[in-house]
Amino acid sequence: MGRIVIIGLDGVPFGLMDDLANRGIMPNFANLREKGTFKAMESAIPEISSVSWSSIITGVNPGEHGIFGFMDLIPGTYTLSFPNFNTIKAPTFWQKDNNKHVILNVPSTYPAKPMNGFHVAGFVALDLENAVYPKEYIPKLEELNYRIDVDSEKGHQSKELFMKDLFRTLEARHITAKHLWDDMDWQTFMYVITGTDRIGHFLWDAYENKEHEFHKQFLDYFKRIDEMIGEISNKMSDDDSLIMISDHGMGLTESNVYVNAVLREHNFLELEDADRINHNHMKASTKAFALDPGRIYLNKEGKYPKGTVKKEDEEKILQELTNVFQNLEKDGKKVIKKIFRKEDVYSGPYLDDAPDLILMANKGFNLRGTLAKKELFGTDIFTGMHTQDDAFLFVKTPKSIKIPENPCVIDVVKIMNEIKGDK
Amino acid sequence: MKPCNANRTCWNCPAAMLKGNIDFRACGQAKEKKKQLSESSQVLIECSRRKDLGQFAPTITFEQCPEWELNEEYNTYMLKNMRVMILGLDGYLGWTLALKLGKLGFKVSGIDNYWRRDCVMEKGAHTVVPITRMTDRLRAAKEVLGLDINFRKLDILDRAKLKEFLDEVKPEAIVHYAECPSAPYSMVDAAHAVKVQENNVLGTLGLLWVMKETVPESCLIKLGTMGEYGAPLTGRPIFEGIFPANAVLKWNDREWSLGGELTPRDPVSFYHVSKVQDTFNVYEACKYWWLRSYDIMQGVIYGVHTDEVAADPRLRTRLDMDEWFGTVINRFVTQSILGMPLTIYGEGEQIRGFIALDDAMQCMVRLICNPPEAGQYDVVNQVSGLIRVKDLAETVAKVSSNFGINTKIQRVENPRVEADKHPLEVVSTKLPNMLGFEPKISFEKEITEMFKVLTQPEIKARIEEKKHVIMPKTRWDGVKQESESFETYDPGTKNLEEGYKGVLHTKD
Repeated sequence: MGRIVIIGLDGVPFGLMDDLANRGIMPNFANLREKGTFKAMESAIPEISSVSWSSIITGVNPGEHGIFGFMDLIPGTYTLSFPNFNTIKAPTFWQKDNNKHVILNVPSTYPAKPMNGFHVAGFVALDLENAVYPKEYIPKLEELNYRIDVDSEKGHQSKELFMKDLFRTLEARHITAKHLWDDMDWQTFMYVITGTDRIGHFLWDAYENKEHEFHKQFLDYFKRIDEMIGEISNKMSDDDSLIMISDHGMGLTESNVYVNAVLREHNFLELEDADRINHNHMKASTKAFALDPGRIYLNKEGKYPKGTVKKEDEEKILQELTNVFQNLEKDGKKVIKKIFRKEDVYSGPYLDDAPDLILMANKGFNLRGTLAKKELFGTDIFTGMHTQDDAFLFVKTPKSIKIPENPCVIDVVKIMNEIKGDK
Repeated sequence: MKPCNANRTCWNCPAAMLKGNIDFRACGQAKEKKKQLSESSQVLIECSRRKDLGQFAPTITFEQCPEWELNEEYNTYMLKNMRVMILGLDGYLGWTLALKLGKLGFKVSGIDNYWRRDCVMEKGAHTVVPITRMTDRLRAAKEVLGLDINFRKLDILDRAKLKEFLDEVKPEAIVHYAECPSAPYSMVDAAHAVKVQENNVLGTLGLLWVMKETVPESCLIKLGTMGEYGAPLTGRPIFEGIFPANAVLKWNDREWSLGGELTPRDPVSFYHVSKVQDTFNVYEACKYWWLRSYDIMQGVIYGVHTDEVAADPRLRTRLDMDEWFGTVINRFVTQSILGMPLTIYGEGEQIRGFIALDDAMQCMVRLICNPPEAGQYDVVNQVSGLIRVKDLAETVAKVSSNFGINTKIQRVENPRVEADKHPLEVVSTKLPNMLGFEPKISFEKEITEMFKVLTQPEIKARIEEKKHVIMPKTRWDGVKQESESFETYDPGTKNLEEGYKGVLHTKD
């Protein structure tokens, strides 16, 4: 039986893959592209890695897997918690069959849990100790200089050091991948490169601007990734299938939009004075608040400690909020592209935990849920931001399968199942 | 009134273990774990007591957290069964605190190597309040108060064993009393000076490394002394270790802010130097490793009473009267009982901060319940009043008359190198304003209590037995001779209105 190889490139848009293949920077991928199906893919809503990867590996929407963002509130409190792999409510594909799997650096899978095969969690993985199953493998990973992630601090300190760290992390990860490939007996091999997202956040402008001092290095990074893709595809047999995906796209940030500042300006949100402001400092008069990126929650009575919004008033407030965000403009440009009610985009047993409204921004507007900002708009060090509609999907398989016309992240498991012949 | 620590959060809680600094904006994680909130990163913690919460932002308040329970007597939230380790548990303060904490429901552990007992014995003195050996003390604590104190005989300089014990107990607060507390003892000769500094400085330095390795979230509550500051003749205020934000240095028409910098230290013996060196070591460790600490600039302590030590004769804490380990009020009371004049050094116009034993214990409980944030080095001036030594002698003499004792006062040559006439203005606002401390014990009240206890026949006999160790023989100039008397006078015969008076600021 043929094996399945999944290569994930975090935060790489369809357009970039297409462009670099056309320009000869990613010749191996260009070559593969001819032999398979290459499409833009819809990311999750919101287009956050943890939400998206959770959907990719479970094949279900957030209403079923329960992950709506990087951070969520501990029920009944205003304390932000980090939903980890213990929190995810739906089984992943490797927990559903008896095959042997190698799962390397898939985001949002920390802490690693017992499974049939080998697993190293990706971002956010707080320590190697709990990121690896089986633990006996940790010394080997250390010997291979394996690193969970690039040191993002370096991106803030020096772009030069950051680039060095990106390459170093990539090489260590690839050496580990090759080692696992040869060392283990597996049916599914999933390998995610996350540096692609980091380089996008810190240096998207270096990609778009040919004069940028890091333009060449940006391209070199993808050139190196292309070589790795070539190496892996050469190791595959004709029976094997290759799926390549990203979890979301990336584009140039023009402006951050501080959603809570908008809520404050329109008196939906009131805050006490505090040094280190957090959601506990909201006054009881608060009707709605936001979490990253554009998740809006009504401050419902009975749900939150200082919740005051009564059931009968919910619809009216949702309408008011919708009006405010529909009309939000910067320099004559509309900020918000779409506003979803939770029922529009989610279904399943965890619908109650979902945000009441989900904002989707127009190109260039980066929604943020910080409480610390008073101004509505601003910029910071990051030049790249996630985009929702242009993740990518590439499938090359000897099997005859149907690939959705407009695929989205929850389709990846279905495609794998089709390849395996499962329904 | 709302409990003073109601709004403290996981940032202050020793159960909060730092797990990472996550840069969600860049979908990245910093390699270095820092408890520092920046625009781009989110600190994630795990609660060692509430594992079910997973990893979360450190924003739960003590008021919200079920692990912190309100103690009505103190009007303060206390961490349930909080594990507190007392280093120097056998000492005057260590033993008293162990019983106080135990009664309040803390899980108390501790170490001691009995060095204090040895030093006092070496100098031919003894504690005038008899204390039993540790096994008997622990048994009595169990029998009388129902306490289980986890004690280990251990020298703080034995880092390997200390590490083992810390690893085993995982204390959430460490009270560090395991230092030699005597200025004169450090001035006896080179061997004594070296031993005091070795124990104090190296003991604390080693402890900091061991804490970093085993319990980095624990709060170090370290005993310093008001003597670290000295007594500046300019009369500039003695702030709580760190200059306030609006302090300014002016020189040649230029000005700089001093806000946040350590205030000058001017120690007055090799013992005091050891405490200053500790200050810097602790300060640096907080900076390098995100340890948290209170450095307590404690005034001169006195007294014999707390409810717990008075519960049974076997639970009494030690009380020293000798020139090396007796503090001034404790010595005055024993001198009075012996019918000796109270000896004041030089002019006797030294102004000192004082605090009664029970009030000091109240402060310690409050400090334990209000840990600073990780990485924070904080200082409190732990005094309940300032008084000139010669005024103090008058007070002791006055109280002694209630016990039918006619006490005189004697001025002797000052064996120390210190100003014996100086202004003193002390700021002590944190304990009363931020931590809810209210002094409950007046000089007269505690001195009366001391006369009651120390005039008991068995104790009086012990005082008589060692009366030769009272007069100071250790001089800072190294000359071995007893201080000579300038004059002896009756209380109430001097004009006490003249000279400097201490100024204590307790309001913000």
